[in-house]
Amino acid sequence: MIALSDYLILGAILFCISVAGIFLNRRNVLILLMCIELMLLAVNMNFIAFSHFLGNATGQVFVFFVLTVAAAEAAIGLAILVVLFRNRRTIDVAELDTLKG
Amino acid sequence: MTFEKFLFYFFAAMVIFAGLMLITRRNPVYSALFLVLAFFNAAGLWMLMEAEFLAITLVLVYVGAVMVLFLFVVMMLDINVAEMKPGCFITYLPVGILIALTMVVEMVMVVGPNHFGLDIYASPVPHAPGYSNTGELGSMLYTIYMYPFEIAAVILLVAIVAAIGLTLRRRPDTKSQNPSKQVLVKRDDRLRVVKMPSESKMELK
Amino acid sequence: MLEGYLPILVFLGVGTFIGAAAIAIGFILGPHRPDSEKLSPYECGFEAFEDTRMKFDVRYYLVAILFIIFDLEIAFLFPWAVVLAEIGIVGLMAMAVFLGILVVGFIYEWKKGALEWE
Repeated sequence: MIALSDYLILGAILFCISVAGIFLNRRNVLILLMCIELMLLAVNMNFIAFSHFLGNATGQVFVFFVLTVAAAEAAIGLAILVVLFRNRRTIDVAELDTLKG
Repeated sequence: MTFEKFLFYFFAAMVIFAGLMLITRRNPVYSALFLVLAFFNAAGLWMLMEAEFLAITLVLVYVGAVMVLFLFVVMMLDINVAEMKPGCFITYLPVGILIALTMVVEMVMVVGPNHFGLDIYASPVPHAPGYSNTGELGSMLYTIYMYPFEIAAVILLVAIVAAIGLTLRRRPDTKSQNPSKQVLVKRDDRLRVVKMPSESKMELK
Repeated sequence: MLEGYLPILVFLGVGTFIGAAAIAIGFILGPHRPDSEKLSPYECGFEAFEDTRMKFDVRYYLVAILFIIFDLEIAFLFPWAVVLAEIGIVGLMAMAVFLGILVVGFIYEWKKGALEWE
């Protein structure tokens, strides 16, 4: 049978992959946003694993809210990205170093 | 190895593969598609954990909507992939791998089998065939968690307002038709009948 | 419990197999003699002017965002519809407030003209 620790380890590996992705892809805000989505997926995996093994659906309710907030975050984040690209013609994080708009 | 275990390892391997491919692609289109693959397989894993409703929601909302949004943005930004300098990737590769490995080792030490193994958290009894995951979720969501539920509505409202406020641009110079105005137009708006006295007599020269 | 989902798994497997097989058979059986002229993009006789990737207008993005928001709203409606008989008037009022807040957003986008395609 699959143990709780298997799901938790999978969540940990996914989370670390997305952390590494944030380190590696500093040129591209778009991939950074995708890495954040992957992180949230790893977190949700842990919530659902605990909910399943403890027999309590509260974790699943929370995952539902996380999905909602993540969708709103993606919508606003991408909107900011579009405006940024329109003004600066780049999405390279290293070049976004001026405080004045 | 039971069939369930096989499914778990298959889905888990696919999720990790998709995650690794996601962070190493230079072209954001491939990254977005690998994220779709990761979401699909994660939905399979959630199905194994009997979270059917959330698995379907993940496919519907994430694969169906959020990833389409990402792909739209990739198409909209018109980034030249060839021009993006690769130097950064190599520079940060050792640091990224080091930190990721350290974190994995630390987390596995915390959440590993000796703390959360089968002997401590036994595998739960599968639900009876008549059990409804959606129903259980709903009976908590709209009663105990009513306030968070309303706050979720407010967050969605904020997202609507923010997206419109940030990206909507009026273009005064565009030429467009207004069909309802065209249909509703009356004869008097277009045509004016002028009454004037007729000329009495033309003088011939 | 999970046995009930076996047909879906079989369906996914068959779907993946047919999709992969169609591509693989075409790749294996089809003649494959590329040259530079065949691989170059075809544009009515002259050299290609620009990249084939076309820039999208930002209005598509706005429609996609509004779709996501209302997609999530529908996702919240499903569990509610399943348990409405149990949670009674409280659940009905909770959903009424939820939908009311989102209707405010809908009216906002309508009045702002975000749904217009000028």
